[in-house]
Amino acid sequence: MALDYRKCAEEIAKLIGGGSNVISAAHCATRLRLVIADNSKIDKKALEEVEGVKGMFESNGQLQLIIGTGTVNKVYDEFLAVTGVSAASKADVKAAAASKMPWWKKILKTPGDIFVPILPAIVASGLMMGIVEAIPKFWPAFGETDWFSFLDLVANTAFALLPVLVAISAARVFGGNVFLGAVIGLMMVHPSLLNAWGVGTAETIPTWNIFFYPIQQVGYQGHVIPVILAVLLMSYLEKLLHKIVPEMIDLFVTPLVTVLVTAFATFTIIGPVFSILENYVLKGAEWLAGTPWGATIMGAIYPWTVFLGLHHMYNVIEAGMIAQTGLNTWMPIASAANFAQFGACLAVAIKVKNKKTKSVALPASLSASLGITEPAIFGVNYRFMKPFLCGMAGGAVGALFGALFKLGAPVYGVTGIPAIPAVNNIPLYLVELLISAGVAFALTLIIWKEEKPKEEAAPVPAVEQELPTVSVIRCASGSIMQPVKGNVIAREAIPDDTFASGVLGDGIGVEPEDELVVAPFDGKISSVAESKHAIGIEGNGMELLIHVGVDTVNMQGDGFECLVQEGDEVKLGQPLIRFSREKIKAAGYSDTVAVMLTNSDDLEGVECGVK
Amino acid sequence: MKSFEYTITDPVGIHARPAGVLVKEIKKFVSTVTVNKGEKSVNALKLMALMGMGIKQGDTIRIDVEGADEDNAAAEIEAFFKANL
Repeated sequence: MALDYRKCAEEIAKLIGGGSNVISAAHCATRLRLVIADNSKIDKKALEEVEGVKGMFESNGQLQLIIGTGTVNKVYDEFLAVTGVSAASKADVKAAAASKMPWWKKILKTPGDIFVPILPAIVASGLMMGIVEAIPKFWPAFGETDWFSFLDLVANTAFALLPVLVAISAARVFGGNVFLGAVIGLMMVHPSLLNAWGVGTAETIPTWNIFFYPIQQVGYQGHVIPVILAVLLMSYLEKLLHKIVPEMIDLFVTPLVTVLVTAFATFTIIGPVFSILENYVLKGAEWLAGTPWGATIMGAIYPWTVFLGLHHMYNVIEAGMIAQTGLNTWMPIASAANFAQFGACLAVAIKVKNKKTKSVALPASLSASLGITEPAIFGVNYRFMKPFLCGMAGGAVGALFGALFKLGAPVYGVTGIPAIPAVNNIPLYLVELLISAGVAFALTLIIWKEEKPKEEAAPVPAVEQELPTVSVIRCASGSIMQPVKGNVIAREAIPDDTFASGVLGDGIGVEPEDELVVAPFDGKISSVAESKHAIGIEGNGMELLIHVGVDTVNMQGDGFECLVQEGDEVKLGQPLIRFSREKIKAAGYSDTVAVMLTNSDDLEGVECGVK
Repeated sequence: MKSFEYTITDPVGIHARPAGVLVKEIKKFVSTVTVNKGEKSVNALKLMALMGMGIKQGDTIRIDVEGADEDNAAAEIEAFFKANL
């Protein structure tokens, strides 16, 4: 009988308190995995009665509904459509479940969540941009070549259109439709708008007069916060509309209204308000850069402005300085701050044990030394926070040095190593870089310690294990291999009535010759007995109980060693339980291992015995 | 729906064999039986889930029985718990 997926999804949605009560949704081979905001809204009893739901339980902060192979994905698709919840991977669901953290921590975490996924694009562009822009400093003629022109275009694409990448990533983080998010991002850098970097030099800025005040037709190149806020609003609107718009017209009304309203809000309020805030930041920066102490403070807070995406606007200050005095004294501050982030990131790259972090930190630090610090800040330093703070300290000391010796350069937009040929005093500039990076590097090495990831499961023992090859139970869902070496006996011959009678399902017994139980199929550990003598494993709809010995529960775990934990994913052949036959014999019990397919009644074509 | 609470006295708690016997007993009835311990609840026919709750001696659980034969079922299941668990 075919299941009505839509009906099933609708009933589930209703019984868990609607789409708004779902934090995230994912599915694995057999289950719908949901993270629920308010568990009290769930009608557990009724859920289990829903046609198509074969069972439910809660674990690790997830509500898991067993639906079945081949069916769960269809119910899942309908579920997303019904609730308006966006697709999440299993990892996302885990992350959401783990996010029972304070609100301020979540807010601080959001930029990282948005920027880490787009790191490959940033790293590629950042490194290329640093190199391409450095070459003309040594070889000015290169800057006139078509090669430079082409390479520069390739290098700056990701930065010039950064709002698009940010918008897509933000839409994913906030649970909005990524394509609508992309539209918002694209809109903010639309070619018809005046480029934000060109505003400083433009003679007149075109405006729209559609509301009570003129709206400047300016793009948001190099901006982050207005993009994130716009997409946050968009995602919220989209989810709200999915809920209140009648389903029949939802398909076209929701996207249209979402984009239109977000566009108005972005260009009328979010964008302009942010521009004003940004102007205040810049005015303060200009004043601060005038004194050594001001430079020290700016050297410290510069990375924050990079973090907020404001640093591109410094170009306006710098261009002004060059125009007036021919020397950009802001550059050494930026250089010190950036090079300090390089030092901190390099320290992390050297100290960290986690391979993934290392592989991010190394290229990120290289990119930072060339003056492109976003990968280092977003991908590494800010994520761990302490390296970021150490970098601020290094930047402050370096910037003070730069201000005291009145360092400067007639350029803007380049910092770190590529700026060397341009500075007014190369040896002193090198000293400044060394101080900045050195302080940050040393502080990070001392202060920062790698946090052990809590969620990480115990590493799978790398013991070479020959895979079990003898099939002992077969059914429509798969084959179960012999989990322990020895003589296989019929279920009825197991010296224990409970197992022999089939109350616990169909199965077989093994008279062990070995003392190791291994996983008989790929699956997940569903239960581990406190006394370590029995283990439940499920996979592909099969629920298997492996029970070592008869009455061995009375041994209270003595003579048994369990090698996995409840919830672990295990592979065929992976060691599960080690037991001592001697101790079982000494305690006066049979060591027969019972292998029971506990849900054999629900499975088709169950057949037991060696094959 | 009928409900009753029971405190486990069996020293090994609801483990493989007791769980199996319990499932066998419950299969006699058409009512749906749910075992609740704290926040967790499982359908008592689902052996693995039942064992996964890790119910030990001294734990108090609540059993909900719902269905056509709930009066009779609840009484017999309660008697079963007292006799075996």
